Amino acid sequence: MVFSFIFIPLLIAACLPLIGKVSKKIIPDVLTNTTLAFLLLNSILLVKPVFSRGSLLQNINWFGELVNLQIALDGFSLLMLFTISLVSLCITLFSIDYLKHYGHQANFYALLLVMVAGMNGLVLVPDLFSVYLFLEVAAVASYALVAFGLGPEELEASFKYLMLSVVASAFILLSITVIFGLTGSLSFQAVARGLQDLNASLVLGVCLAFFIMGFGLKAALVPFHAWLPDAHPSAPAPISAMLSGLLIKVSGIYALFRIVYSVVGMTPALSKVLMAMGAISIVVAALLALGQNDVKRMLAYSSISQVGYIILGLAIGTPLGIAGGLFHLFNHAVAKGLLFLNSGSIQHITGTRNLNELGGLGKKVPVTAGTNLIGALSIAGVPPLAGFWSKLIIIIALIQADHFGYALVAILASILTLWYYLLIQRKAFFGPLNDRWLKIKEAPFWMTAANVILALLCLLVGIFFSPVFKTWIAPAADALARGVQQVLMWGI
Amino acid sequence: MIIQIILLSGLVLFSILAILLKDLLKSALSLAVASLFLGIIFFRLGAPYAGVFEISVVAGLITVLFALTVALTRKDSEVQEARLTRLVFPLFFVIFLIIDGLVMKSLLQQVPALPTGPETGSFGEVLWKARTFDLVAQLGVILAGVLAVLALFRKKEEDKDE
Repeated sequence: MVFSFIFIPLLIAACLPLIGKVSKKIIPDVLTNTTLAFLLLNSILLVKPVFSRGSLLQNINWFGELVNLQIALDGFSLLMLFTISLVSLCITLFSIDYLKHYGHQANFYALLLVMVAGMNGLVLVPDLFSVYLFLEVAAVASYALVAFGLGPEELEASFKYLMLSVVASAFILLSITVIFGLTGSLSFQAVARGLQDLNASLVLGVCLAFFIMGFGLKAALVPFHAWLPDAHPSAPAPISAMLSGLLIKVSGIYALFRIVYSVVGMTPALSKVLMAMGAISIVVAALLALGQNDVKRMLAYSSISQVGYIILGLAIGTPLGIAGGLFHLFNHAVAKGLLFLNSGSIQHITGTRNLNELGGLGKKVPVTAGTNLIGALSIAGVPPLAGFWSKLIIIIALIQADHFGYALVAILASILTLWYYLLIQRKAFFGPLNDRWLKIKEAPFWMTAANVILALLCLLVGIFFSPVFKTWIAPAADALARGVQQVLMWGI
Repeated sequence: MIIQIILLSGLVLFSILAILLKDLLKSALSLAVASLFLGIIFFRLGAPYAGVFEISVVAGLITVLFALTVALTRKDSEVQEARLTRLVFPLFFVIFLIIDGLVMKSLLQQVPALPTGPETGSFGEVLWKARTFDLVAQLGVILAGVLAVLALFRKKEEDKDE
């Protein structure tokens, strides 16, 4: 059942280009959405077994012979699988109508499913080199998806993304190589056990620095963020949502913190470095977002800033801080997915993303305006929306751990976040209606439906915060907080 | 020892070919052969994991992606290799062999023996039993590469149709 997260999307992706020859639109749409709905259901069904057993370790036999197809699932990986399936499903629903503009749906969906399979694989494999390989699966698909429009801007953004991503991969691979040389193994369990008996803090420190550089580049953490404000706005809206909502979190944050907590073990020095980087990202990116006129570029800077919040929470090292960071990861995936899809709706309706050209759209497209407002307020941390709770937990965790300075930064940056999101609202949806937009109407059904689903999620997760937290976030936070013991317990 | 020399010479020969050949497909195939030699050398030196990674990822996966991209993007015209390439290559090879013969033996004697790691097993065991998931991921990368080429070169095909 757990293997389906990797094999089913890969299998469907391999078939889609052929299916696309027979049916250009309906079958690719139905097949992709059904696949992701199945994966979402699958992740929900796995809650009970993971909740009762703590973790699942599964092996596959290949025609009766034992091969090393091993996966490990715990609360942290399950939260990631659920987030990936949920946000991807909303994105593919949005794409049903959005892709009419681009065509070639089958190819687009195939690449998107490979990206999903890559992210799922990364989350499930308990081995450093396999993590690297699945990281590349998702990355190769994402380079092509960023350039899918084939315009000069898209191609340039994709190339820039590719170049910086390759540098990130090189750092990650180098670090994995050194760890392999130190411990003689690549599996999380064996490396964690090997590093406990080893006195090589200097070499390990260098490895961690390389991991932070590599995964920091993937997560677009300041000062490794240069590629993101170009790549995310240039991509088609569903891919911007995939990249900002999911990919930076899975290939950056998940991979980094899985290794830091479960394989190497969090140390006070590492915690300080990561918290400082998180805080710098929050402030620098929020200030940069203020000066943007392109909606998607502003959202891209906002992603860097919110990744800073997630890192800040996770790096505190206390169970509450980890829970806050993970909850913000989930909330940001949903809300940023919504906002990027919404920006796609705005562009579809008006043909522009320039805030200075928009104005008064709220009167003509109330659903788009309303869903945008919900997403923006959630990320800014306005109650009772989901983002409020996660930011509140991070701030409480910072105060509990006596990091008052960081708590103040988090609060002040929240005001900055609210400021630039209100700028979007004021410039795009409020004020007098520009004559150019007199005849506009709401985006097509599936685009609007996807926006509404994600907006409802922001609202409902905020209102029913307690059950969501207990079911998804607490087991994930427990898995991380157990540190190295978590992977040492796998299979026992 | 003779096998080792043949393998090392093959590695250098095909590495130089990969750099000097102008035809991208031939260059990619030369790189694959060089990687194959390197993988065998790793394996003979008692590092089966490194050998498996080298052969499956560099000789296998990357070559497939190179060959695919080259096949889908290159023009039909034959690439003419420069005369200089044909002259420089044997010269390079001879110089390398002379340097190798004079320097490498004494240099290698100064390198301390590496401690034996816990990685063990035959090539087949490592590839099929220990690193099976890597093969699945590599299939994923190849699939992503194929789909990327199909998606990114679609406009060219449309232009041709017009």
